[in-house]
Amino acid sequence: MSNDNHLTEEERQGAADDSLDAERLREVEQHLASCDACARDVASLRMLMSRIPTAESSTDLDDLWPSIRSRIDESKVVSLDAAPSDTMPTRPRRGIVWIVGAVAAAVAILIVSLPPIRTSPRATSPNVTGDTESNFIGVADSTSAYEAEANALLNQLELQRAMLPPEARSSVDHDLRVIDSAIAEVKDALVRDPNNPALRRLLASSYRQKVELLKRASGAS
Amino acid sequence: MVQPRMGGPSDTLPASDGDGSIDATVRRAQQGDVNAFEAVYRAHAPAIHALCRRMVGTERDARDLVQDVFVRAWEKLESFRGQSSLATWLHRLAVNVVLNHLRTSKRDGLRLIDDVDDATFGSRSSPAASVETAIDMDWALAQLPAGARSVFVLHDIQGYSHDEIAQMTGIAAGTARAQLWRARRALTRLLDL
Repeated sequence: MSNDNHLTEEERQGAADDSLDAERLREVEQHLASCDACARDVASLRMLMSRIPTAESSTDLDDLWPSIRSRIDESKVVSLDAAPSDTMPTRPRRGIVWIVGAVAAAVAILIVSLPPIRTSPRATSPNVTGDTESNFIGVADSTSAYEAEANALLNQLELQRAMLPPEARSSVDHDLRVIDSAIAEVKDALVRDPNNPALRRLLASSYRQKVELLKRASGAS
Repeated sequence: MVQPRMGGPSDTLPASDGDGSIDATVRRAQQGDVNAFEAVYRAHAPAIHALCRRMVGTERDARDLVQDVFVRAWEKLESFRGQSSLATWLHRLAVNVVLNHLRTSKRDGLRLIDDVDDATFGSRSSPAASVETAIDMDWALAQLPAGARSVFVLHDIQGYSHDEIAQMTGIAAGTARAQLWRARRALTRLLDL
């Protein structure tokens, strides 16, 4: 049990945090009753254990949420959307067409209004706020993520097509064509102006709309 | 594991059960409902903040990390399957975020305690010596090297085993145990116990 007639470090620590088994703890307690040095040491460790705080904080953290929300929105690329994503799942079906229209209109306006050649991403888009290298990379990442998700959902939808009512199937196909057309237009514009961050955001946004449409269509089947 | 403390309607947000069932609010958040995710944030932020605060030792870093944790949680929420409670899932995520932060921190990294000597951990002139116990403890924790502090927080406050800590931090379980003991020793000196 002991080393030089005193408890080992393991025994002292174990006595303090109650991790010793019952028999060993009994032996340790016997030693503590007769050894002031060990008793003082274990008492000090036990005092520490009694001061260990709870795993909570009472700090006001409300002010952190807006920043978190902003970062979430950035990652979702919603800046060009008219409809916030958190309300979308409860929207009626006709809302989809409206969103698609908004994306298509935004594509058309942006392609017409943006100068064709840009040399620096930072200097190129006065109508896009908060452009940084990291945002730029984030948008590219989110585009590929949405594209991958859209492809997966398309495969899933193909399997479920038969379960969709004919009218819904036709409507989904139409909406998909509109979104795909918008995506194709943005991709074409990006070929001409590959460093344009606004176009990249719009591409990601279009893909997101596609993903949401597909998710809803899958859920409806 | 941890109960929410912040005020507001989120106090009613139940934790997921860890039995595969997922609370409706969490499920809505998984489907992209940011308002639902805000409720998740309000319910769990106090515990995540406490974890970050004690592991990094400074309030400013802790607040930055709380944001990082919840942004990461939003990104990964879809992968939450309810096999553990959401609090446990978030804690794991937070520990990873904080440890990554500490590993890349040039200031301290995940430094361990070599020796609990008076020169390093003698505290008698501690500016916090006369303040409340909890503040004393936070102050004392902040004096520990990050690696030892992490082990202490993860074991004695968060309740992780030495094996779990070894897995999370990349140190051996025996090293984790030795660091825990040294951290306790250092704290008893710093707190003059």
